Amino acid sequence: MTSSASEAHELELRPFFHAGVAGRVFSLLVAPPRGVPRRGGVLFVPPFAEEMNKSRRQVMLQARALATLGYGVLLVDLYGTGDSEGEFAAGRLDAWRNDLVAGCRWLGREGFEPVVAWGLRWGALLATDVLRTLGLRRLLLWQPVADGRQYMDQFFRLRTAASMMRGGARETAQDLRRQLEAGATIEVAGYELHPELVRANDNLRLDAPPGGCVVDWLEVVRDADTQVSVGSQRMIASWRQTGVDVRPAAVVGQQFWATVETTVAPALIEHTSQSLSGHA
Amino acid sequence: MDRAATLDEVRRVLRDTLQLGRRADALTTKSQLLGTIPELDSMAVVSVITAIEERFGFTVADDEISAETFATLGSLTDFVDDKLRV
Repeated sequence: MTSSASEAHELELRPFFHAGVAGRVFSLLVAPPRGVPRRGGVLFVPPFAEEMNKSRRQVMLQARALATLGYGVLLVDLYGTGDSEGEFAAGRLDAWRNDLVAGCRWLGREGFEPVVAWGLRWGALLATDVLRTLGLRRLLLWQPVADGRQYMDQFFRLRTAASMMRGGARETAQDLRRQLEAGATIEVAGYELHPELVRANDNLRLDAPPGGCVVDWLEVVRDADTQVSVGSQRMIASWRQTGVDVRPAAVVGQQFWATVETTVAPALIEHTSQSLSGHA
Repeated sequence: MDRAATLDEVRRVLRDTLQLGRRADALTTKSQLLGTIPELDSMAVVSVITAIEERFGFTVADDEISAETFATLGSLTDFVDDKLRV
């Protein structure tokens, strides 16, 4: 952790369980130190499956940095993941969505308003959804996934690669989709995927938030002369046409959600904190 | 992109994706990858494929890759080279 011991002491870390739709949902509030004026809340929407495990350190560092600025940051373990109740196979998109909406309302009741929806990777899809449901005005996207179905196909690749390495018969994404259509739960990289979850994920698209919303769209790149991806640029242009105030930036760092060892991207934290404190 | 440049770029992809650091500098076309580099598990294989797609601007279908593709740095570079020629 970059924060000093004294700062860590001053920040309030409040873990608690929420009574979720399907069961108890573990949540952690990272709250500002006493005496720091409150700016609002931030609801974090995690990435999918293993990407969250790899991102924990980066996310926690960012949550602490934002709390120091006066934000109450709520980190929620989706039902069936992390310290929440349930198995991954029991995870459903509707329940996750409802639990996130409940978390956001809780932040408001605790006095952390307005709330910024913060989504990492696949979490960007749900964060945008929560923003629309609750009429939030500010979105923070980290390396957003644009298409749920394409993302699922990429996730299936983990199993394809595993079968390739065993040297046995190779399973393709199409093979796995056939099994799902027949109603089977399939296991990918240690995660049991229920067909209903995959079907709901397939339908997720990163749609433009309502006009007037402010969106920080941040991507981590390898070198300083690289821009946000071509696909993102296209989407940002179309969002702007509908009156969304998109603020894209590419920052140099490690793609911490995908690296083998735990890594962090300090420049991403710095940019995010500056942007949310109004000094970007 | 000539083969030497492709080789260099594939080596960079491996270095960045697997965090090999300076160990990557020692990799030659004959260096064994799968089964030899401990970081190269199935999740890392997927990360490498995705990074190659992004870096070289092509899409890799599931049935295009096999364990042989990841046998050595040379075989992986050949694969990228072939894809770039299509």
